Amino acid sequence: MQINWQLRELNLKIVYYGPALSGKTTNLEQIHSRVDPLHRGELISLKTHEDRTLFFDFLELELGKINGLTPKIHLYTVPGQSYYEASRKLVLRGADGVVFVADSSPEFMHANKVSWNDMNNHLAAHGIALEKLPVVLQCNKQDLVYAVDPQTMKNLLNLYDVNAVPAVAIRGEGVLETLKLITRGVLAHMQQQQQKVAA
Amino acid sequence: MMDLDTRNPSDFPVDVILYPGHDKAIRQVLEELAQKCPAQFLLLAGVSGQPIAYEGEKGETNLSALGALLAGDLAASQEIARQTDQYQSYQMILREGRQSTIFLSEAGPFMILFARVDREVPLGWARMLILESCRRLADIASARPDELPSLDLGLHEDKLSSLIGDELDSIWSG
Repeated sequence: MQINWQLRELNLKIVYYGPALSGKTTNLEQIHSRVDPLHRGELISLKTHEDRTLFFDFLELELGKINGLTPKIHLYTVPGQSYYEASRKLVLRGADGVVFVADSSPEFMHANKVSWNDMNNHLAAHGIALEKLPVVLQCNKQDLVYAVDPQTMKNLLNLYDVNAVPAVAIRGEGVLETLKLITRGVLAHMQQQQQKVAA
Repeated sequence: MMDLDTRNPSDFPVDVILYPGHDKAIRQVLEELAQKCPAQFLLLAGVSGQPIAYEGEKGETNLSALGALLAGDLAASQEIARQTDQYQSYQMILREGRQSTIFLSEAGPFMILFARVDREVPLGWARMLILESCRRLADIASARPDELPSLDLGLHEDKLSSLIGDELDSIWSG
């Protein structure tokens, strides 16, 4: 998080994390295509020749002034392929909140779990306790015939205190809801932290 | 409980806080570096990629995109150095282009300085000035100003998160 008092700007970093092909980049593509161009930047993607995320995707949203304060939200994805573990760790650095994009296919439940544990380890390496970081679980691909429902996915991942959003990111469903939830979570967390400091 | 009027951004868990005094001092360092080196373009960003200040010929450069790429580049380079046991603070990345040379350096633990200089500028000279500037910038950012401005950013506003949710709704075209 960065606060520029002179410019009255609040900058937040939100990372979309999850297993390979779960829909992290699709979330950013949908946000890019649906947000007023006056309020978003270019979608930057560092991809492999096979069109897979190599390092990260990046998109900046600039909201209108709120009480004279301009919030800027910086959205990043991580590369999902197991080979790029070190890159995922780097992208998590400085994250103010995480959207965990899980694949709702029954056969992906193990991959979701592995990716979740991988994220937990990387956050710990950055000195961030997962329970102190705002996280939203996005259960993507809910349009699949045998999609696992969000509550079952929460149970499988042992995520009892995390908000879960059902989504079909490729159609834009659940994308805005996820973004709103994580942004609000990050701000609420920041304010709670501040109150602890002030108390 | 602290009175609302006495709250300020330093009470929040953030990476970088820039006060108006910081902004002036940072711009002065960048201006001096741009003149002395000389540098064509300078960008100071947070380690998470958020642009802080720039100096020189910005042109069509998308500063937010550049900031994000710089953060990724520096983070990757730092990790390479760590994995090969060569890490030290204020390390620099150098890219030689046909017309310009690009330097990328840490400016303390929370900031990155990008500098584009003409190829005619001796590398050693540019390197020395950039490193010196990075140390000054780090000192500036780490110093808390003597007097905190009485500017209310509204960060304690109870409805801030719902107001931001409303803003997101308003820019979404469905």
